[in-house]
Amino acid sequence: MRRRFIALALAAVAAASLTACGGPMSPDELKRSIETLESTAAEGQLLAGDVADDRTKATFVRVHSRDLGDVVVHEAEKLNDAEADDSEVVSAKTDAIDLADRIDTALGQLQVAPGSESDARTAAKALGRLSADAGKLAEGL
Amino acid sequence: MKSVLQVALGVIAAIGGFVDIGDLVFNAQAGASVGTPALWAVPVGVLGIIVFAEMSGRIVAVSKKPNFVLVKERYGKKLSVFTLVASLVLTVLTLGAELGGLGFVLNYFFDVSVSFFTLVALLAIAAAIYFLPFGGLERIFGYMGLALLVYLAGSLKLDPDWGEIGRGFVPEAHGAAVYWYFVVGLIAAALMPYEIYFYSSGAVEEDWDESDMSVNRANSIVGFALGGLISVAILVASAQVLKPAGISPTSVGTVALVAEQPYAQLGLILAFIGILFAVAGATIDTAFSAAYNLAQHQGWKWGKRFQLLSEPRFTLSLAGFLLIGFAIAQTGVDPIELTEYAVIFSIPVLPLTYLPILLVGGDRNVMGKYVNGPVARTLGWGYFGLICLLAVAAPVLFVWTNGGG
Repeated sequence: MRRRFIALALAAVAAASLTACGGPMSPDELKRSIETLESTAAEGQLLAGDVADDRTKATFVRVHSRDLGDVVVHEAEKLNDAEADDSEVVSAKTDAIDLADRIDTALGQLQVAPGSESDARTAAKALGRLSADAGKLAEGL
Repeated sequence: MKSVLQVALGVIAAIGGFVDIGDLVFNAQAGASVGTPALWAVPVGVLGIIVFAEMSGRIVAVSKKPNFVLVKERYGKKLSVFTLVASLVLTVLTLGAELGGLGFVLNYFFDVSVSFFTLVALLAIAAAIYFLPFGGLERIFGYMGLALLVYLAGSLKLDPDWGEIGRGFVPEAHGAAVYWYFVVGLIAAALMPYEIYFYSSGAVEEDWDESDMSVNRANSIVGFALGGLISVAILVASAQVLKPAGISPTSVGTVALVAEQPYAQLGLILAFIGILFAVAGATIDTAFSAAYNLAQHQGWKWGKRFQLLSEPRFTLSLAGFLLIGFAIAQTGVDPIELTEYAVIFSIPVLPLTYLPILLVGGDRNVMGKYVNGPVARTLGWGYFGLICLLAVAAPVLFVWTNGGG
């Protein structure tokens, strides 16, 4: 009896997981994804600010900006692969992929020249703007 | 000086338990997400682990029996085997996460590759285990992990709002599931079972007897309180730096970036030294815990106090668990995610680990005049109830809040 109950509980959990995985992207899922972009751009801005003020180590900047870039690219891949029915979601999804691309480019600047204070200032400004744009996009959903 | 060195066991057990690779990021996430209102959860968890660590150390001092000997004696064969298997899965998954985490941390220093530095970390840990005595392992990895106190100094330098911090230590009724996710996670992080496996077996390694009751008390109180203090400091510093900027940390690099804000390069370097030794300490805690549990359950000769070559089954299992952990890390799985999966396996292990300690600690036939007094008994059973509640609440909140996200 107990075994049957455990098997049923496991089957219910598996079914719930499968249900959660399929179907078109919901506004909430898209919002979470855009918030990840917003957070990553903000972190990039903080890192770039430290480079601009000569407060950090170049190796750390290179590795960490690469890691942040990977997060953004992964998020863009997920957005690209997700299906969307709602026209509002489709439009926001396209904007989010574009934002991800621009955040990745700005982070790439830090990765390529982690010791350049002037490049870092430019990157910090761009990342701050992109983080704010992502915030506005998420708020609209 | 001697008394400072005597609390090394408590320090390494706490540092390895409270601020391992997953907890470092989790504490920062808690600060960045819900901020100081979740602070009260840390002392709740710290008091719980102090109660059980003190009890398990006292049991060793009186009966020379570490945790898994109690499990075998108090449970039937099936339940003790189940407890062993579940604890091994939990501990070895965590070991894999710590080794992978070491690879990430070393790569921040040199930028070669995470896989390469995971191998370097494995070899360095294996060499340390082979060449250093048990006390040396405790002191090097425990005390060097205290470089994480840079977060305490950092949060003070960032001029915190003391009123807000004070209010954070008072539990509040809160409707948000994400708040409870972090509260439950912070309490559970303090009570991870491998801290007790390592602490009670370490007490046997150090040959504690009835004359060491005050050493046991000092280790459990000072060591775990220090771990809790670092946990609080990371949470507060993250609430000051990350929350206003809207940053949600996902890697150990973000945690290091927090220490860079008040102290620039010095903060970054101290944070990475602390993280490196704390995660290495957690690697040693988990590797030994897995080997201790298996050897104690099977009745093998075990311990670092003997020559490793004179106890081949214990030594081979220690080496085997390190290699399995390395294989897990080399799959490329994210160490932070891996520690989240490990939490799922801790669900059945938590109550099964703590129950035998309570039963033996309260058994006058075994403990004699050192049997649990009214305070230890009340706190022990109270926390056991809380642990059972956490075991149910943790996975529900994890799914409900999408991992706090």
